[in-house]
Amino acid sequence: MSPWRRSLALVALLAPAYGWLVFAVIAPLTIMLIFSFLNDVPIGERVVFFTFENYRDFFQHAFYWRLTAKSLLTGFYTTLLCLVLGYPMALVMAKVIPSHWRAALFMLVIVPFWSNTIVRLYSWAIVLRKGGVLDLLLQALGLSPGSLEILYTYRAILIGLVHGYLPYMVLTLYIALDRVDDSLLEAAASLGANAWQRFWRILFPLSIPGMISGSILIFIPVIGSFVEPRLLGGRAGTMIGTIIEDQFVQLFKWNFGATLSFLLLLIVLIFMLAFGLLLRRTRLLRGE
Amino acid sequence: MKAQALLFVLLSIFLITACAREAGAPPGTAPATETTALPAETVTLRVINWNGYGSDESFVLEEFGKKLNVKIEHDYINSEEEILTKLRTSPATYDAILPNVAYLQIAMQEGLIEPIDTSRLQNWEKLLPRFRDLPGLRDASGAVYGVPWVWGATAIAYNTEKFPGGIQSIQALWDPANKGQVGIFDSFEDAVVFAGLALGDRTPYQPDDLQAVKQKLMELLDNVKTLWASEDEFNKLFANGDITLGNYWSGAAARAAKMGLPMAFVVPPEGALGWIDTWAIPKNAPHKDLAYQWLDYMISPEFYLTWDSVAGAPAPTTQASLDALPEDHFNRAVMGDPEVLARLVFMETMTPETREEWNRLWEEVKAGH
Amino acid sequence: MSRVTPALAYLYALLVLVFLYGPLIVMILMGLNRSPFYELPLQFDLVWFRKLATNERILNATRNSIVLAFGVSLLSTFIGTLAAWAMTRYRFQGRNLLQVLLIPPIAIPWLILAVALLLMFYWLKIPRSLFTLLVGHVGVALPYVILVMMTRFQGLDRTLEEAARSLGASPLVVFLRITLPLILPGLVASVMFTFAVSFDNFTLSHFLAPQGVSTLPVEIYTSIRKGFTPEINAISAIVFFFSAALVVLSSREIKFV
Repeated sequence: MSPWRRSLALVALLAPAYGWLVFAVIAPLTIMLIFSFLNDVPIGERVVFFTFENYRDFFQHAFYWRLTAKSLLTGFYTTLLCLVLGYPMALVMAKVIPSHWRAALFMLVIVPFWSNTIVRLYSWAIVLRKGGVLDLLLQALGLSPGSLEILYTYRAILIGLVHGYLPYMVLTLYIALDRVDDSLLEAAASLGANAWQRFWRILFPLSIPGMISGSILIFIPVIGSFVEPRLLGGRAGTMIGTIIEDQFVQLFKWNFGATLSFLLLLIVLIFMLAFGLLLRRTRLLRGE
Repeated sequence: MKAQALLFVLLSIFLITACAREAGAPPGTAPATETTALPAETVTLRVINWNGYGSDESFVLEEFGKKLNVKIEHDYINSEEEILTKLRTSPATYDAILPNVAYLQIAMQEGLIEPIDTSRLQNWEKLLPRFRDLPGLRDASGAVYGVPWVWGATAIAYNTEKFPGGIQSIQALWDPANKGQVGIFDSFEDAVVFAGLALGDRTPYQPDDLQAVKQKLMELLDNVKTLWASEDEFNKLFANGDITLGNYWSGAAARAAKMGLPMAFVVPPEGALGWIDTWAIPKNAPHKDLAYQWLDYMISPEFYLTWDSVAGAPAPTTQASLDALPEDHFNRAVMGDPEVLARLVFMETMTPETREEWNRLWEEVKAGH
Repeated sequence: MSRVTPALAYLYALLVLVFLYGPLIVMILMGLNRSPFYELPLQFDLVWFRKLATNERILNATRNSIVLAFGVSLLSTFIGTLAAWAMTRYRFQGRNLLQVLLIPPIAIPWLILAVALLLMFYWLKIPRSLFTLLVGHVGVALPYVILVMMTRFQGLDRTLEEAARSLGASPLVVFLRITLPLILPGLVASVMFTFAVSFDNFTLSHFLAPQGVSTLPVEIYTSIRKGFTPEINAISAIVFFFSAALVVLSSREIKFV
């Protein structure tokens, strides 16, 4: 292909999606980024000027850092739990069950999420509350006489989040694992590789892109989440996401709310950069 | 292979039809039956209010809408702040809005709403003087910007089965005996005011000692099961025994009791928070004459009494409505009692600085848990 | 592998499905429970389904949500897949930047994006319409498609395509007969993820929908302040059964290679 035609093809393929993204997401978020350096929102006759006050506010109040750390940790736990729970599931789907069941199971994993978050979380409240469905179930099975009292604790938030985000991990992992040709595994087996070696040497390395995409789709939204903490967390439900929501919904403090979210974004980008470098180094060490 | 091609074709058809439908007949516009029933040039009155808060009852659409041949469209909000956001970003779009008095002042100062010519409202004179003459409705020159609609209190609701003797004091929320049974409204304003009242401060909007308030709120949170954000949430918590008492809205408590929950509502001797919701007309409202008719209808006793009998309403602002209620009706027996009224501290307009200070205090208290 | 492993594998898959579907079953049961406050024990009653049948608002809002989510999922999957294709098949300058641009829409809470879009449209003097609603929804759905499809395209065996081409197949035939089946799981995942993203999106619809147009999440979120009834559970149950039926039917047609 000539370079000219190549560039044309590239533009034609990228322009619709990125044009849309720039107009619908990047441009408005740039407005918000600018707001985070202003004292007020420039509508009506408000007097606005440039300031670092919002950023200073964040660093001057220790509880904001604590909540940010709590949210990051929550994102980390949720991602890890999804990975631990989701990896075997994806493996089962891609390599164990007969292929004519795969599409059905694949879709069954996501159908529950064609429902409303609030309604789903209310259902979790019914399950987790004292004397709720889970308690009744455990009592009926004779496993626990009392109550687990999970609702309105930090554990309830994690359960709600893992439930809501697990499909992203299962499905992205499946998409990655499913690419691995079965004949490759059979060849390895015939050469004497045991199941563990086949997994560790063949499947695992090839599933890394899936793990990365899944983790991005889980970790990043979870650190800004506010609905799950509010509805399931009780007193433990204050997070940086709920603080951000308050700035927009309860107060007219869009500037500070924007500041908090861009700080979160910055942290995310630093994490990803560090992770990317780490990945590149391990690949170099492995000689790939 | 055929199946995949089929699927591809199906998906393409879906995409095309979906787009065509959106371009041709917007799916969100009223169903065909409604649009054909009314002449094409029907006027649409645009209202901002809470979902399920009186003005969107079906009898309103029936009585007001049919009579004047008007379509009434509601835009719902999730916080008072959102009323202002909508007015700021969609000027000359709405005809009537429902802020509470504290937000009415902000809307007025920002020039988002118009002064109201009260002589055009037949029911204005029927309003109880203490609401009609409220300073919060007026600017410095005395021009009126809001029409008081209904009012109520945020005080204590409790489970009558768990507290057969009733609740005698606001301190019940702090009582260690009730640990893990208390539900508190997640609002910095309500939290600070309640803590102030519990500390014996009769002017909680000008706190004597904000540090003491903070300390008191931290103690309160030790007792709290969860923070609630909506009437729905409170009722579900209450019905399932997660909480047995908490601060709650008077109208909501009356509705809950009507629906069969064992709930009673009390304004404790230390006091509680009072609020007044008012109708206002946004600047450059497209249908100003109609907005006046709407306001007049909204404050009429006929509207109030129908609303109360159909769904249960907060306390009325007219004497005629009050008189028409049964003697033992909550809004008459309790809210109509001058002594109860005297105990209430009504919501005040707060400066952005105070709001920020209080909010940060509340965030910090919550973050400590 | 031994016979024990598949049995364990099936059991594990079953347990995960129980975890995923448990709350959904509770949700459906509460639509059949008489208590408006989700009280246990369950008392069977169809009252909420009967009420739903006459609730025009919720039915209209649900229809709007489904139409919107369909449009969003197909449109975003289509243009997102093109971009993902370009990003994995071509090496070009600025590719990393384009990848980084996918992060803000996921990282910044949608609430903030919604407020920012509202303000931007206000400044650009674009009135709220179905167009503004679609702009926002597709905007947040795109990163999901691009990330998922890039995962699929990465390392996709290209020898098949090249072989087909060398045997004289036209690019269209290569795409339809070789590439499309290979990327099908990614496409299905994209369509289903983005459907979920749009169907459950409250904030964007709340701020960007034109006057008088409501979606199911908007109905739900704005009614919780005063209390929503299990009619919401009833409609959720109906939506659930329809989507499950759709999936079962289509899964017989879709084969993952």
